[in-house]
Amino acid sequence: MTTGKQRVDGQPAFLLQAHPYRETSLVVDVFSRDFGRIGLVARGAKRPRSQLRGVLVEFQPLDLGWFGAGELRTLARAEWQRAWPMLSGPRLLLGYYLNELLQRLMVRDDAHPALFDLYAEAVQKLALAPAETVRHEALLRGFEKALLRELGYGLTLDHDANGDALDPQARYVYKPELGLLEGEGSGDDVSMTGAQALALHEDDYADAQVARLAKTLMRVLIAHYLQGQELRTRRVFIELQDL
Amino acid sequence: MNTGVLDELVSALRCLPSVGPKSAQRMAFHLLQRDRAGADRLARALGDALTRLHNCARCNTFTELEVCERCSSPRRDASQLCVVETPADMLMMEQTHSYSGLYFCLMGRIAPLEGVGPKELRLDRLLERAADPAVREVILATNFTNEGEATAHYLGEMLRARGLAVTRIARGLPVGGELEHTDIGTIAQALSERRPA
Repeated sequence: MTTGKQRVDGQPAFLLQAHPYRETSLVVDVFSRDFGRIGLVARGAKRPRSQLRGVLVEFQPLDLGWFGAGELRTLARAEWQRAWPMLSGPRLLLGYYLNELLQRLMVRDDAHPALFDLYAEAVQKLALAPAETVRHEALLRGFEKALLRELGYGLTLDHDANGDALDPQARYVYKPELGLLEGEGSGDDVSMTGAQALALHEDDYADAQVARLAKTLMRVLIAHYLQGQELRTRRVFIELQDL
Repeated sequence: MNTGVLDELVSALRCLPSVGPKSAQRMAFHLLQRDRAGADRLARALGDALTRLHNCARCNTFTELEVCERCSSPRRDASQLCVVETPADMLMMEQTHSYSGLYFCLMGRIAPLEGVGPKELRLDRLLERAADPAVREVILATNFTNEGEATAHYLGEMLRARGLAVTRIARGLPVGGELEHTDIGTIAQALSERRPA
């Protein structure tokens, strides 16, 4: 889709991760609105006086320009669109978790403008919303669900795997790739009532049991699509909580 | 021509940061052709450093002693403990000549995307060091990057929970800095962290 030489400018983007590259440069993994996740070489970005040093920062809305073709393009220009407060504490770790999900589940050069807008909205909430108004769990679950939907792994929670309406009282098991199957399930199966499935469908996590269920379901689904890869940010987050 | 030894030297030099195959080859030829004395000195210095240097039992930076000279100096103020990411950061703090306390060098920072957490950083050693009853204040001087901030946040929580007074170095406009020539991120942060004048 994006083969051939191109010159792009004024592209809204977020930095997901930066790696040192050669003596004075960085390779940055960015999520751009209209070109998806791409790799850019930021020449000279590690020099002490480089103006890019303070610009290429995670969780800030950037305005980027680049040129070139292939795996690694060359960053031509980077500016902050505006300045959001830096994320802090657990919110910063949640931000890293969002970045890792995008890095591991989204292939390069695949545009997802709707997902970009959802990511921007989630980061903005983490940066700007007063502590007491942000429900981290709801924010994460909403993003995880939207991510799976956008990447084509959408989950169906408003009817069962056969396309039949749910019985709120009946018990169901959620199978990755299939959907809800009526039955008790066993062992590691994620099982729920029809009413709980409908609450999940509506992103209504007010009930503590539904919120827990959402967390388990997302963890199982994400692990399924990661095919055994570890989520590093999740492990580090858990270890930090235990300090 | 048997070049196994030469190949080994070139590939060994590539372990240095930002040294690719071309630079490694240039370095190898330079050492062998133009500066054999320099090469000999480098080989011995590397050998010595590897056998004689280790981490100071107190501050974790490199030293030949069990406890480094700075940590055992009676002139340093043992009530302050400054936590930095790298030995280079420690040297910068020293160059200010405005700090006379002691240090703890993390030799890294929490980097969630790289999988570097409290275990990899071995934060238990910092806890042990900070538990010294002489310590009255821990100053967090990690970088103002997202990773440095994450590190400072969790260190702060962890040390405060153990009853220590914890401070964070301030941030804002650089000395001699003019608003007009400062990046908007710094200005925005300075504004949100403004203080009574």
